Amino acid sequence: MTEYLRKIRLIYSKDLKIEFRTMNNLVSTVVFALMLVFIFSFSLQLADLDLNTVYAPVLWVIILFSSTLGMDRAFLREKENDVIEALLLASGECSSIFFAKFFGNLTLLFLVELIVVPLYTVFTGYSSSSNILLFLATLLLGSWGLALIGTMINSITVQLRSSRVLLPILMFPLAVPLLIAVIESTNSALKAGSGSEGWLYFLIIFDLIFVIIPLILFDYILEL
Amino acid sequence: MLQNLEVKKLSKKIGFRTILSEINLLLEAGELAVFTGPNGAGKTTLIRLIAGLGSGDKGEILWDGKRYGPDNGKIGYMGHNHMLYEALTVEENMNFFSRMYDKYDSKNIERLLRKVDLYFYRYEQVGNLSRGMQQRLSLARLLVIDPWLMLYDEPFTGLDTEGQQLLRQIIQEKQQEERIQVLITHKTGLLDDFIYKEVKFCQGKLVEVIEGRAEL
Repeated sequence: MTEYLRKIRLIYSKDLKIEFRTMNNLVSTVVFALMLVFIFSFSLQLADLDLNTVYAPVLWVIILFSSTLGMDRAFLREKENDVIEALLLASGECSSIFFAKFFGNLTLLFLVELIVVPLYTVFTGYSSSSNILLFLATLLLGSWGLALIGTMINSITVQLRSSRVLLPILMFPLAVPLLIAVIESTNSALKAGSGSEGWLYFLIIFDLIFVIIPLILFDYILEL
Repeated sequence: MLQNLEVKKLSKKIGFRTILSEINLLLEAGELAVFTGPNGAGKTTLIRLIAGLGSGDKGEILWDGKRYGPDNGKIGYMGHNHMLYEALTVEENMNFFSRMYDKYDSKNIERLLRKVDLYFYRYEQVGNLSRGMQQRLSLARLLVIDPWLMLYDEPFTGLDTEGQQLLRQIIQEKQQEERIQVLITHKTGLLDDFIYKEVKFCQGKLVEVIEGRAEL
């Protein structure tokens, strides 16, 4: 187990080093997320909608769209020059590659959210007596789930032609239950109310399922 | 140390096309096998299956009579492409792969980089190196893990005369260390002074094995 975690950490650190050196993925994802924030904020102001109703769904749509762009490149640097083959031999356990990529995507999502959430809140002028802890827990579990789905789908689509188009097409249907749960849970958090425990449990179970699926399937996925 | 590698009735299909058909092959410690044959004969598929990068539809590959997976540190594979991170430097690539195999030793890495004549370029990003230099680094990465089984797919491609000589020297050293080596090449003339087992393929079939081949 220690050896397994050591390999995950090595691959994750290597990916971070490459990402911060090239800034390819981070910059494009953050810029795209910022554009979405501006567009949605202006549209919401012009439409004169009740912010209490639309704040959470729009926030999660921004996060979902941004994550699609960010996670699209997770396995790309391994595909170039067949590095994936050297990595497969070096890792022994294929799933360690998956989880390293997952943590990379999760880090990217957190960085994007760190910028998007405050800006979106300021631009929409939204304020409420929210339950911050519940809000943060929802962000964590929602991002965890999105990163898992995105990493798994990306590991499949990267081996196919038109992978950039296929990622959202395959990812969005899988993300629907997660999206419903995070929106409901975020709404509860923003109303500082209770009664959202059910959605939090749903998120935990959803995330656990998508932790187990790659453990079973990832060897076959990489053999495609 | 690996005593023998046995491929038993190995077959592989992709779609309706037979890539490998009932391949049988036995390699002993210290043996160098050279796979030859026209393009599309199944050589690369077989070497990838031996590396553990995929599985056959039928048959098996045995190490000392036992089934195996891509176990740590036992298989070194040098493919068509250099299989290195172009955004990392020469040294970072070596550090990363040696750490993955838990064989990190800065002195050894320095020695190997000097051996492949890349020590001077250790802080250079791999993407900025020439094809031949990338190939040398790929060779150094193979050596840093010190595998029991060494698989090379067209390793002479892109190497200059010095690089080819270096590779020949390494193959010779590994033969003396009793490692099993499998090599795909169309340039068998470069192995003239080696004793090797030539394994000829055609249309997914192993058509001939010539034992103890040496052109001397």
